[in-house]
Amino acid sequence: MNRIFIAALVAALHITPTVVLVKREDAVKSILPTATAFTAREVHLSGADAHRLHEALDWGPDDGLLTFYTGRSGASAVGALTFVRVDTPHGPLEVAVGFGTDGAVLRVEVTKATVETKAWVLEGVRSGVLSGYAGVKSGVTANQEAVARTPALPGGPESYRGKVGQMAGFMLEQIDKGVRRAVVSYNWFYRTSAG
Amino acid sequence: MPYDLARLDRRVKWLVTCLLGTFGLAYLFGGWMVWLYAGFTPDRVARTYAEPTAAAAPETTMVMEHAMSMSAFDAGDTAEVHLVDTKLLVQDTHVHVPMYGVIAALLSVVVLGLGVSPRWGYAFITLLFSAPWLDFAGMWLTKFASPHFAVLTVAGGFAMGLGYTLVAVLALRRMWLMPVTERTNP
Repeated sequence: MNRIFIAALVAALHITPTVVLVKREDAVKSILPTATAFTAREVHLSGADAHRLHEALDWGPDDGLLTFYTGRSGASAVGALTFVRVDTPHGPLEVAVGFGTDGAVLRVEVTKATVETKAWVLEGVRSGVLSGYAGVKSGVTANQEAVARTPALPGGPESYRGKVGQMAGFMLEQIDKGVRRAVVSYNWFYRTSAG
Repeated sequence: MPYDLARLDRRVKWLVTCLLGTFGLAYLFGGWMVWLYAGFTPDRVARTYAEPTAAAAPETTMVMEHAMSMSAFDAGDTAEVHLVDTKLLVQDTHVHVPMYGVIAALLSVVVLGLGVSPRWGYAFITLLFSAPWLDFAGMWLTKFASPHFAVLTVAGGFAMGLGYTLVAVLALRRMWLMPVTERTNP
């Protein structure tokens, strides 16, 4: 009887369980392999900055808090990374985006998906599309509307259309959304902040 | 009323049994999923549906930095509470309510053959349909009125489980365990 009650709650909760695709620690090692020490930089956005970010990306971080992790080797910074969540109609994704000291994207990893989206996300990841982000820099200060509309991936969806299934393509668009958020946040609030 | 589960052709009884078994199986695996990924309290339901209270933004953007170890990244791997935002709740309502309606209707058809009094028939059918109403009312009220309404969603879930269990037990008993008495026409 208890199981039936529990089961009834399932229907009530409509849970889309989160699945860890890559542990954060492994993502960090993959993105910044030479880093031996880390600092977390927490950027608490003012109302004006949060509004500016929202205007550009139709998005704001939870509690107005952006967190970047700077990797160091000895006294030298070797890069930074951030984790961005993207809420899709099929549950949330989490994307890790790393940046070199020159501000260009080093590597993108999808760290979390959901039971429902896992297969689509993995198909997208295995297609190799994410490697196309390496070296991307963004002119994010030019035109906010253009930022919101322009995919971060060079070539945009056309570069993978036909190579992956429809849902995998949709997930790659969601991943791109996360990368765009990371790139804009990094350029506006990491590179310009002290540290 | 001529329709009585006890008097059905055995193939139809088997169909009804399979239907009830399939619903039960679905519920069991769903329950397992909740057990793995979520809690069962109104508090957890409230955290899933209530919009988080926004922290007060500082007047100017503030930056704080602190050292962290590699192992600290592990903390981010713990399962997060899945927040169902308004858009997702609209979608959930759109997708789930019709299916709940179909399930309640099928179970109600079973109820009509249980041989219970009309009063009990009304009660069962009302329970089967009101449980999902309660469920979704709880979700929407939790989001837009108060997190305390999460208790409605929990109650709705329990009511669905109770409705299914009662109908399944009574139907199986009626179909397979009760002796069929011949109807005599006056």
